[in-house]
Amino acid sequence: MAKAKSTAATRSNISGWRQYKALLKKDIAQELRTKEMVTSMGLYGMLVLVIYYIALSQAGTGFDITLIAAGLLLLMIVFTSMLGLNRSLIHEHDQGQLEALLLAPIDRPIIFLAKATTNFLFLAIVQVVVVPFFYVMFVSSSPGIIRGDVDPGPWWMLALILFLGSIGIAGVGTLLATISVNSKGRDFILAVLFIPVMYPLLLVLVAALTAVITGGSGFEATFWQMCAAAAAYNAVVIAVAFALYDYILGV
Amino acid sequence: MSENSHNTSSAAKTALENPTISAAGDATTSPAAIMAQGVSRSFGPRKAVDDVSFELPDKAFLSIFGPNGAGKTTLLKVLSTLLPITGKGSASVCGFDVKTQAEELRRRIGIISHNPLLYRDLSADENLQFFAELYCIPNPKQRIDELLEAVELKHRRYDVVRGFSRGMIQRLSIARALLPKPEVLFLDEPYSGLDPHASDILDSLIANIREDHTFVMVSHDLDKGLELASHALILSRGQIVLYDECKHIDTAAFKSLYREIVGLGVS
Repeated sequence: MAKAKSTAATRSNISGWRQYKALLKKDIAQELRTKEMVTSMGLYGMLVLVIYYIALSQAGTGFDITLIAAGLLLLMIVFTSMLGLNRSLIHEHDQGQLEALLLAPIDRPIIFLAKATTNFLFLAIVQVVVVPFFYVMFVSSSPGIIRGDVDPGPWWMLALILFLGSIGIAGVGTLLATISVNSKGRDFILAVLFIPVMYPLLLVLVAALTAVITGGSGFEATFWQMCAAAAAYNAVVIAVAFALYDYILGV
Repeated sequence: MSENSHNTSSAAKTALENPTISAAGDATTSPAAIMAQGVSRSFGPRKAVDDVSFELPDKAFLSIFGPNGAGKTTLLKVLSTLLPITGKGSASVCGFDVKTQAEELRRRIGIISHNPLLYRDLSADENLQFFAELYCIPNPKQRIDELLEAVELKHRRYDVVRGFSRGMIQRLSIARALLPKPEVLFLDEPYSGLDPHASDILDSLIANIREDHTFVMVSHDLDKGLELASHALILSRGQIVLYDECKHIDTAAFKSLYREIVGLGVS
C-alpha cells in the first residue's frame, strides 16, 4: 500500500516536472517570437535612466549620489517589473488560453511556479542590460567614488541581492497579477496591491543595496542580514502561493 | 412532443432518485457519463444556472439549446471544472466528482469552443506539443501526426496560428481537444464561424468518434443539434425546461415548444 502511494507520488512528481518544463518552454517560445515583455521592460528601464539623468543633471558635484543610488535603482526595477508583470497574465487571459491551462490535469501551483519563473527570467534579462548602465551613469561616475571617499562592495554582492529581490518581485507579482487579471481595473489593482505587499522586501532590498553601493566598514554584516531577510520573505511568498493558488484561480 | 417528454424538474428528480433511470424514464444498463444533481452557479445575486439536475448515459450525445444568457456555457464550464458549483449541488463526469476529483476528471474531458484556446503566437505543432506535455501523452509526435492528418493541417504544421483562417483555427482546436483521447467532449457552439469545408471536417470527425465518446454540445442551431443528438435539453434562465431522449421527441413540436418557451424565432 505504502509502495503504491510512493509510486503514485513519484509519477505525479514526474508529470509535474514535465508540465512545468512545458509551460516554461511555451512562455519562452512565445516571448522569443513576440519580444513583447523583455523589449517593453528594457526600453522602459532605459527611459527611467534618462529621466534620472535629467532630474539629477543640476545636482552639482557636491551631491553624493551613492546615498540615494540604491533607492533609484530599486524604483527603476519595481516600475519596470510592474509593466511586465501586468502583461504576463493579461496576454494569456485575453486570448482565452488561461481556460485551456485550467482544463488540463495540472496542479495549480505548477502554473504559478512556471509563470513566476518566466517572469523572473525576463526580469533578470532586463536587469542584466539596464543595471550596468545605471551603475556606470550614476554610481561609478559619482564624485564620492571618483574622489575615493566611497568604496563599494564587489559586483557579485549586487548581483546576489538583485537575484533574491527578483525572486520576490516575480513571486508576488505573479500572485497579484493572477488576482487582478479577472478584475475590471486590473492595471490599477496590480499597482495598488503590489507596493504594500512588497513593502517589507523593498525595505530589505534598499538596505542591502545601500550597503553594497556605499561600502564602508562592516557593510558585509548588514548585507548578509538583509539577504537572509529577503530569502525568508521569498520562502513565505512561495509557501503562500502554493497554498492559495487554487483558490486565487477560482477553480 | 412525445408523452415521455416532460418538464425536466420532475424528469431529473425521478432520474436522480433512481440513478439507473434515463431522461425518458427507460431502464438502462449503461453507466451515466454525466450526473448533475441540484447544480447551481451564481454570479453575485444572479443565478446563471439554477438547480439543474439530469443524468446522461455513457456514449450519448446531448444537445443543449437555449437563448443567449440561458446558462448553457456556464453549465458546460461547471461540468468541465472551470467554474465551481455554488451551494450544495453536485455533479460528476465519467464517475469523477467535479469538486473533489477535478484533476482525474480533467484527464477525461476535452472542450471545443468558439474560443479556440490556442496560442496564436505559436505554430500548430508547438501548440499541440505544449498540450501533449501538459497531458503527459506518451509518444506525442505520433498522436500529433495522426490528428494533424485528421484535421487536414499537416501542410501548415509549422506555421504560426496567427496566420490561420477561422476554419483552420477551429480545426486545430479540435485536434487540441482530441489530443488526450477524452472520454467526454464538451462542444460549445463548435460550428460558429466555420466555413462549409471546416463544418464538414468537424462533422466527419464527430462521426468517426461518435460511437466511443460522450458528447455535450451547446448550440443555437436546432436542426444541427437534433440531427447529431441522442438527448436534447432546453435551458432557459438557468433552469431546465425540457430534457428528453431524441427518439421520443417530435421535431416540429420541439421547435414549437422551443419558440414558445424561449421566445426565439427558430427556422
